[in-house]
Formats: sequence, structure tokens, C-alpha cells
Amino acid sequence: MNTQQKESCPKYFEFFNSVKIISGYKALGNISSELDLLGAKRPIIITDKGVSKAGLIDHVVDSFGGTPVTIGALYDDTPIDSSNVAVNEIAGIYRQQECDSIIAVGGGSVIDTAKGVNIVISEETDDLMKFTGNNRLSKPMKPFIVIPTTAGTGSEVTMAAVIANPAQNVKMQFTSPLILPKVAVLDPVMTMSMPAKITAATAMDALTHAVEAYIGPQKNPVSDAFAFSAIELIKDNIISATKNGGDKDVRLAMANASLLAGVSFSNSMVGIVHALAHATGGLCHVPHGVANAILLPHGLEFYIRKSPETAGRIGKLLRFFIAPEDYAKVPIHERTKSTITAIRDINSNLNQLCGLPLTLTQAGVTKDKLESIAKAALNDGAIAFCPVEVSYEEALEVLQAAY
Amino acid sequence: MGNATIYREIEPSEKWLKTQITRLCLYFLGMGIETAYKNVPEVKKEMDSLPDTFSFCFTVLNGPSMMILKNGNRVKYVGEKESYHADLELVLKNIEFAYLMMTGRISTPDAIYHNRQFVRGNLGHMMLMIRVMNAAQALLFPNLLLRFYIKKVPRLTMRTMINRAKAYTNATIGFFA
Ligand SMILES: NC(=O)c1ccc[n+]([C@@H]2O[C@H](COP(=O)([O-])OP(=O)(O)OC[C@H]3O[C@@H](n4cnc5c(N)ncnc54)[C@H](O)[C@@H]3O)[C@@H](O)[C@H]2O)c1
Ligand SMILES: [Fe+2]
Repeated sequence: MNTQQKESCPKYFEFFNSVKIISGYKALGNISSELDLLGAKRPIIITDKGVSKAGLIDHVVDSFGGTPVTIGALYDDTPIDSSNVAVNEIAGIYRQQECDSIIAVGGGSVIDTAKGVNIVISEETDDLMKFTGNNRLSKPMKPFIVIPTTAGTGSEVTMAAVIANPAQNVKMQFTSPLILPKVAVLDPVMTMSMPAKITAATAMDALTHAVEAYIGPQKNPVSDAFAFSAIELIKDNIISATKNGGDKDVRLAMANASLLAGVSFSNSMVGIVHALAHATGGLCHVPHGVANAILLPHGLEFYIRKSPETAGRIGKLLRFFIAPEDYAKVPIHERTKSTITAIRDINSNLNQLCGLPLTLTQAGVTKDKLESIAKAALNDGAIAFCPVEVSYEEALEVLQAAY
Repeated sequence: MGNATIYREIEPSEKWLKTQITRLCLYFLGMGIETAYKNVPEVKKEMDSLPDTFSFCFTVLNGPSMMILKNGNRVKYVGEKESYHADLELVLKNIEFAYLMMTGRISTPDAIYHNRQFVRGNLGHMMLMIRVMNAAQALLFPNLLLRFYIKKVPRLTMRTMINRAKAYTNATIGFFA
């Protein structure tokens, strides 16, 4: 085949995103007026120790100076990967302190916890577990504003929350359009303090979102547009954000990229890489971004073996990773491989810069866990959105290749 | 002055035939799952990993439905139980989609990608039930037709043929009993 695969339009698609985006320098200054528009003035702030120690809550509290807003409560004990226990506890504090809105300040762990709290409060329940799964929600939600402090999950614009259940050692998924925050506020000062390794890992999460969203079977021209602009920004900024975290322009670019990738995958979904990463995170506590970074090249190689159409799509992404004049020189049948090589190059670059693990072994996963990870991955919702059917043996193969 | 008789109510058609065909297909699918649990080891293994008491409902919004109940080591198709709130629900948004799906013109994966359905409940369990329904469909339909229904068509073996015969027999007996 020596003509590039044509972009096919889906016979049908849906797209939804209702989040107001406020992005850029001094963006924090707009939160009080947004709360006012939402009819709220007593928010609870939900965050974690890492974020509060970095002094980021001070910026937020400071932005309310001279406004009628009172912080009803500040909760900074959110655990990594969230937990249903924390969610129920925070909901108690929200009620006791008579708050009227929620502000999440943190990475995916904090944002997803806050989404859980909003569910418990709005559904007037005392147990989050009753609402696991898809479309269990029916009540209107409380005003909810998100200020991401990592540039990776895109959770500020997604209809999903992933919350761990430590008692059962699983990650539970919640999806509903009602989960979407009202406003996402991206301000470069909020991500500058991110350590290099977290910067690299979360950025690879965002790249994985964009790539999986573009090659998945639910992709469409609107989600593609978001995925493309995300990949372009990530490719241009991921290395300098890790190397030179103090550069505000680079930080803002990465925050925007992560949001764009989030809008894309919230509509077109993610596939085998995320299914395996969720399972690896749930069973072995590998950070989500690290798991994605390790698994992305192997997941793509699996698709190439299985589906020529998907291989063609992966090949088309090469144009975002190399200069246009070089792209034109790569023969079409080699583009697929070259895309994966380009992603591997980013990974090894990040590995040298900050020690981002390149294999599951380096991430601390032991061989005896692979089978249970493969089994758990088959029951992850993302499996339904792989462009090809995935068997247990195939999932295990991908894990072994990444081991 | 307008003439009041112009403003009549419009009662859209009932789509009686499509509803009945869908109802019949759901019936066969339900019986198919029951038979698959008894005769296909992989299906039994899958469904045994579900919670001990578990209910699955495949329904058309405001339309026909089918309910599968699992209780310990028994899996039973119990017909249309709409008033009951199942642990896991797969809801098709419109009878038109259901009809197209049942007659093989929308595949299960396409029904998902095109948002013709929504799931209420644990997605992991839904993934498992999709594999079970694929196996049940493999029992019910000739391979030629299967291509329209599922992503990967299984090889036709003697065992599939025998199980297929059992599924038809069970369903027919159930239907006239
Ligand atoms: N809902 C979704 O759509 C979605 C998508 C992808 C991932 N996730 C979930 O998000 C979670 C991962 O989130 P994450 O990758 O953003 O990491 P995280 O929220 O777990 O944060 C990682 C660490 O970084 C610290 N940190 C965060 N921002 C910082 C900053 N600016 N300065 C200093 N330290 C900072 C935190 O304190 C924490 O210790 C996982 O549980 C994953 O399942 C959700
Ligand atoms: Fe992710």
C-alpha cells in the first residue's frame, strides 16, 4: 500500500462537554466570580498533603481576599488514587460545615475524590458504593470547580471518576455526564511545583489519552481535533516541562494539552493501555502515569499485530512527532513503527532526566502478579473500546512484553 | 381565530411488529444464556465469578426486556421482569435500535460505540456479560450471520453444533411450555 489511509468519518457519533474552561495567567482570580455565578459562597476545598505542602492552597485562598467567599472547610488528607473511605468522610465534613460548593485543588486523585464527594452529597446518601458503575446518578450536582495541579489526567473535563476501594483492592469506576465539573481553572502557578518525575509520568498519561482516543473505535472528527492539538502540545513541551519546571509558558502549555486530551478521551474513550494500567495500579500501586508510559508502546505494538486499520492510524500520528520534511521522507509502511519509536524515545529521554521507569520490573511489579493483572484488565470498561477483541492470553502477552 | 380541531394529538405508531420480534429475540437470548451456562465450560467459569446472587436485565427503554437471575450455581432466565431493579442493566435507548440489533444490522460493539445503549451498574460485570452474550449468540446463530453480531467469530466445532441444537431445543420447549 503506498497511499496513506484515508480518514474515515464515523457513520454516527456523539460528543459532549459542558465544562467552562478558564485557562492562563492569573486565572485563579476568576474563581470567586464563577462561584458567584453559580450562587455559592461557602466552598469546601479538597486537596492532598503534597499539594498543600507545596503552598498551592495559599494561592487559592488568597484569590478570595476581598470577596464574600468563606472557605467552609479545608480537607488535605486525600490518599493517592482516592478512596471510598475518604469520600464518605469528606461528605460528613461538608455537611457539618454547611458548605454549598466544592473546589478540588490537586491531581487526578484529588479531583476524583471530589467527584465522589459530589455524588454522595447530591444523591443524599451516606455510601458512595451504591453508585458505582455507569449512569447511576439522577440528581442535579452541587457547584463544582476544579483546579488541576498535575498535567495529566484531564479529570477536570471528564465524565469519569476512578476511586480505589482499599478493602477490596480494586479501582471502582463512576461515569455519568452529571459528574462533569462546572468550571476548570488552569493557572500556570498551580503546576510549577510539580516534581520532575510526577511531571513526566502525568504528561505520559495525557499523551496516552490522546493517542488511545484517536485510535479507538468511538473516535470522531470532534474528538480527533482535541486529540491532535493535545499531542502537538505534549510533543513540544513534555521534555522541557520535565527538565525546566519553572518555565510558566511550558507549564501552561502542558496543562492545556492535558485538558484537551481529557475532552477527547472522555468522548472517544481509551483502550487496552488504560485497561492494563488501571489493573496494574489497582493491584500493584504503580502510579497511573507511570503504568501508562510503560504500557503505551506495547499496547500499540499489540494493535499493529491485530489490525491493519489501527496500524494505519498509529502511522498517521507520526506527523506530530517529527518535522514535516522528515515525515514526508518516511515510507508509509514504516510510519507505524516510527511512531512507536518516537514514543519510546520520549520515554527513554524522560527516564534519563528523572528516572521514569521503562519496564514493569523497574516499576516494582513482580512476575507472579501479571496473571491477576491480565484478568482484572479484561473486566475494565476500557476493554470494550479497544479496536480489536482482547483475550486473556493477549493481555498477558502485552504485560510480559512490558515486564 | 384558529380552528380547534386542527390541533389534534398525534399518537406515534406502536411499532408492534418490531417490538414483538425484539421480544422473541430477547427470549431466545435469555434461553441461550441459560443453556450456555449449563453446557459451555467457559461461560460457566465466567458467570461463576459473578457475585452469588446477581441479576442482569437487558431491556429496551419503555419496551421489552429479559432478566437473568443467578443464585449460587443456578442461572435462570426469568422472562420479563420490568418492575424489578437489577444489579446490572443494559438499556437500549429505542425500540428501533433494538430491532436493528436483533436482526443483525447493528452489531453489539457498534451499539456501544454509537451510544445506542447505556449501562447501569458495574462496567466490569457488563464486560463479562457481553462475553457471555457473545457465547450465547454463538450458540444461537449460524456463523455466517454471526459476523454481523460480534467482533471475533469463533471456529465452528462439533461441540458448538451440539450445544446449538440444545439451545434451540430448550428455547422451543420453553416457548411452548
Ligand atoms: N477521572 C479521570 O478521567 C481520570 C483519568 C486518568 C487518571 N485518573 C486517576 O487519577 C489518579 C492519578 O492522578 P495524577 O496522576 O494527577 O496524580 P495524583 O493526583 O495521584 O498526584 C500524585 C502526587 O503528586 C503530588 N502533586 C500533585 N500536584 C502537585 C504539585 N503541583 N506540586 C507538588 N506536588 C504535587 C500529589 O500530592 C501526589 O502526591 C489515578 O488514581 C487515576 O486513576 C482519573
Ligand atoms: Fe489516564
